[in-house]
Amino acid sequence: MKSDTPNNDSDQNNDQIATRSEVDSAVQIDQRQSWLKGRINQWRESGLISGEQSEAILNFESVPETPFRLGMRFSRLIVVLSTLGAILIGAGIISFIAANWQGIPVIAKLALLIGGQTATYWAAYQLQFIRGYPRVGGAIMFTGAAWFGANVFLVAQSYHLATDNPDLLIWWFIGVLPLAYIARSKAITVMSVAIFTIGISWKAAAQSEDEFSGILVMAMLLFTAAAIYAIGMIHLRRKNLNFYAGPYLVGGLLLAIGVTYMLTFNEIFRDISRDARTSTWTLSTGYIVLASFISIATVAALGFVARSSFRSKEHLAAKFAEPAVAALVVITGWFIATHLFESSAPYVVIANLLLIVLIFGTISLGIVNRREALVNVGIVFFVIDLSTRYIELTIDMLDTSLAFIVGGILLLGVGYGMERARRRLLRQFEMTEVGNGF
Amino acid sequence: MASKVKQLFIVVIVVQVMFLLGLVGYRETILTLGRAAVLQTVPVDPRDLFKGEYVTLRYEISTLGQNSTVPNAKPYLLMGEINEGDTVYVGVHEESTDDSKDQFSMLHVQADKPSDDTDLFIKGRVITSKDNIITVEYGIEQYFLSEGRGVEIERADDVKVRVKINRSGTAAIKELIVDGEVWQP
Repeated sequence: MKSDTPNNDSDQNNDQIATRSEVDSAVQIDQRQSWLKGRINQWRESGLISGEQSEAILNFESVPETPFRLGMRFSRLIVVLSTLGAILIGAGIISFIAANWQGIPVIAKLALLIGGQTATYWAAYQLQFIRGYPRVGGAIMFTGAAWFGANVFLVAQSYHLATDNPDLLIWWFIGVLPLAYIARSKAITVMSVAIFTIGISWKAAAQSEDEFSGILVMAMLLFTAAAIYAIGMIHLRRKNLNFYAGPYLVGGLLLAIGVTYMLTFNEIFRDISRDARTSTWTLSTGYIVLASFISIATVAALGFVARSSFRSKEHLAAKFAEPAVAALVVITGWFIATHLFESSAPYVVIANLLLIVLIFGTISLGIVNRREALVNVGIVFFVIDLSTRYIELTIDMLDTSLAFIVGGILLLGVGYGMERARRRLLRQFEMTEVGNGF
Repeated sequence: MASKVKQLFIVVIVVQVMFLLGLVGYRETILTLGRAAVLQTVPVDPRDLFKGEYVTLRYEISTLGQNSTVPNAKPYLLMGEINEGDTVYVGVHEESTDDSKDQFSMLHVQADKPSDDTDLFIKGRVITSKDNIITVEYGIEQYFLSEGRGVEIERADDVKVRVKINRSGTAAIKELIVDGEVWQP
């Protein structure tokens, strides 16, 4: 096996180099096509060419789907099928063990659980590193990482340890995060980010009295969102870590926007802060330690990002706006957690302002970095926020049916306007139709 | 470079397996070398008792009171100030002790780890503390079983739990004693 390895390595390297150049050329073709479409639309709108002519030019210049693109589609299918297959097998074995829990002797149970996990990793290792099937291997490795999490819970269960314990999720996270980097797996990175988010929020809830945990969980989710985003920013600026930035940035952004959106509702805030009096409000030491640790780590990461951007030729606002918004999310988290005001109004106002900053920040970031995906995410949340505020405002003022009709007309108008603005933005910044990576 | 990645991969997998085996070894050590105590459970709301594949256990020592007049609270001597979130050490009778005097002696709860190795203590975390009554969780409040077996425990008149406790006070469930008989899972 030893003698095989270098050859396989070199084959894999050659494959990777070939694949990379194919990716680069495909991306270039995409960008050229996108640019051409934008220019032709402009020519048509300004009356230089007719609609028929524009169609004829586009048909003439169209590029047939390359074997590479077909290959990419096929690869995705392989990944989806392999992941589903591996998950089904794993889930079958684990549910069999869980259903016959006490009927299986401890040794057999452990052999099945740990043996199954090791066998899964062995298969993944063979396929990904030795035999050169990275997609199937990656899918099986993802299942191995999920299996490790199931094993943490099942071993705890076999010794009657409480499984409603966030520490188990934290252990799972620590166990699988290195795998994401070693196996160069975005899927395991996404899994790690999700486990970390749930685990840390759960931990925050466990650190507080039940009736007040809603506020503290929301605040902790904001800290976590900023931390995840800051980690993504560091990844984006390091050449060797750039590949993993997407899941952190997308996860952090969506979490921040999602939680802030929830906090913009007066009713939701009142519900989670019910009976929480400012005079008796105290944060437990455990919560303060946890939140401080995450906040300090986030601010340090943002400082590192700002420092590394300091010498770049970008505009001052572009360099520091992104870390500043992330810091704003942390400050909002503390503002909510410390619960200085009895009334929900200050929190709801702050959440609304933060949501606007996040939405327009996302759109601006998309424009500056030429990522259409970000522009679209920002626009979608803008429309959601606008619709929500409209419903909140009109629900008591107008008759329900009239409110719906007026709302529908407004939405259509806004949609039309947004589509025009979006097209103009894309043309202006010559952006690609779909974001590559992040 | 590629071989380094392979080596790192193997290291991570070995660490994962070692972690799981370590967890198993730790609990097995408690079950083998720990000192035994039998804890009396108290009935809980039947709707909460059986949750899918496990039963929720509530013990006499889950609620502890400063004096015996407090209803539903096991009388214990609370030593010093005890607050929510504190780790506490709760005295229990060792199973092998026959001395009837011991069974009726007042046990105590303290926040500092007992230095005396002769007494048996179980470690727990204070969940609520009010008017000299504390509720404590010991990490042994769930008992997992096969599907459909929960009803046997739900219908029993008397459920005791044999636990093993190590020197640091960590408890592990050894077995259930249902209506005087060791329950076969």
